[in-house]
Amino acid sequence: MSIASVARKDFLDVRRAKIVWFVASLYLLIAVLMFYFGQQGVDDPEFHNALLALSGNGAILIPLIALVTAYLAIAGERESGSIKYMLSIPNSRRDVVLGKFISRSAIVVGSILVAFALAGALGLLWYPSVDVGMFVGALALTTLFTLTYVSVAIGISAVSASRSRAMGGAIAVYFVTTVLANLIRTGLDWVFNDIAGLGLSSDALTFTESALSPMNAFFRSLGLVLPDDLAVTAPDNPWYLEPELMLVVLFVWLLVPLAIGIIQFERANLG
Amino acid sequence: MPAIETTALTKRYGDSVLAVDDLDLTVDDGEIFGFLGPNGAGKSTTLNMLLDFVRPTSGSVTVLGYDAQTEIHEIRKRIGVLPEGATLYERLTAREHVEWVADTKNADPDVDALLERVGILEDADRAAGGFSKGMRQRLGLGMALVGEPDLLLLDEPSSGLDPAGMQEMREILREEADRGTTVFFSSHILGEVEAVCDRIGIMSEGTLVTTGTIDDLQGELDLGASISLEVASVPEDLALESLEGVRSVAVEGTTITATCVDPAVKVDVVERVAAATAVEDIISEDASLEELFNTYTHGRGRGRNDSEAAPDEPVRTAEVEA
Repeated sequence: MSIASVARKDFLDVRRAKIVWFVASLYLLIAVLMFYFGQQGVDDPEFHNALLALSGNGAILIPLIALVTAYLAIAGERESGSIKYMLSIPNSRRDVVLGKFISRSAIVVGSILVAFALAGALGLLWYPSVDVGMFVGALALTTLFTLTYVSVAIGISAVSASRSRAMGGAIAVYFVTTVLANLIRTGLDWVFNDIAGLGLSSDALTFTESALSPMNAFFRSLGLVLPDDLAVTAPDNPWYLEPELMLVVLFVWLLVPLAIGIIQFERANLG
Repeated sequence: MPAIETTALTKRYGDSVLAVDDLDLTVDDGEIFGFLGPNGAGKSTTLNMLLDFVRPTSGSVTVLGYDAQTEIHEIRKRIGVLPEGATLYERLTAREHVEWVADTKNADPDVDALLERVGILEDADRAAGGFSKGMRQRLGLGMALVGEPDLLLLDEPSSGLDPAGMQEMREILREEADRGTTVFFSSHILGEVEAVCDRIGIMSEGTLVTTGTIDDLQGELDLGASISLEVASVPEDLALESLEGVRSVAVEGTTITATCVDPAVKVDVVERVAAATAVEDIISEDASLEELFNTYTHGRGRGRNDSEAAPDEPVRTAEVEA
């Protein structure tokens, strides 16, 4: 199986890269900080508060970890020429894209798992009770969210002919979908309502901003795992703002960038 | 079935760059074929099309009987490739490189023996990031040999190797050819192909200007064999031209140069001159491959327009190294 062979070799290679360990350890740090400060000086600390803090604050960091870990996966090999070794042996171009997605996902998801395992241990140690269902749910959603950004990074890498273009693409995606995520809504409102005069409802804008940023979709999907007393979604939400639909949005973000990456990479001239 | 066959193969980049122009090339099964030409002649572009790294603008390519685009997977199972100037995986050791290729090819080579054969066994467990260019070439060759390929495609295999390394590389290529492997390699170094190739093809400006054995090409060009005699004084009435097999005679100072159709005629020339005057020195030359090469690519390899060069083969000034 060539995909497995690409993934095995890439895993062996990239796990020796220091930058990957550095960014991955940042997430571990966030986990420790959130669970430490969640109970520090609090009489009756709530496990789910710390878990939400980890999910929410960690969500800014996850795209960074995923993009840094994966943006050079293919573009770097194209620039150095090692892609020619890769494609001179029985690997198809699709094998390369999918194999790299698997290996880089394993690295990033691996570091998320370690951080959650530590968070769970600290929860048992420092908190009166641990909500296992919510913990598993938050972990599953965080993993899905992580994979969307690995997919985006691999997609960018597959369509970029050089390291610098891949870096430009990764930085642009990071800023637009995370740092500037809150501005997406303002911008949409301005374009569609103030300029075009379409009179889009607030709900429609909310959906659009969620669809355009996996991070926003992830935040809204967390409604799935919140205890009932913490549910943030209003009961009269339209169907397209339900957390279930946000899962669909996340799956689209998982599949589409990979598919575009495969199609473009299969067409590329690798001279 | 030829090992490689291209038919009317053409590759254009944009409107202005014609990297490969209507190339018909056949490499027979089991031969060592030297693909020669200055940088920018279209050698790498051709190799890239054989490997489906670059798609032809028109024309077709088959490798080992398989179509290079639709059946590339079958081709990759049966070939070994040493790409030009490609870097290895810096964080992986030499052994891991070979094991990875073996894993992908479903081959089970004796990794130590293979690394020994290409001369880097003692560095087997070092990361390739610290390798010299010569060591990288050796490892690249080792990777190409995994799984006993039917065809070896080597792009400038001796670059970065010292003379001893080049000699070892040539021996390995001969051993592989003896095993029945077809060897196709590109080079701009003439000595390399002269020493090892059954047949050569010369590329210039995207076209194949000639193919044949080195003997064929020398005969075809009729460059002849020349002999120069340094004499004490040039006697008159030598009438060397009247000797059978002597094509032309030139006298420059005290040096008499005769060009012969056949090297055997040189003896007659020496005897005739020695009978008439004292011969101080004899210089005998066959047409060298370098001469041949320059004849075919003369004025094309050097001083070309940058816009004519294929993007993957930047034109450098000192292009043809003899």
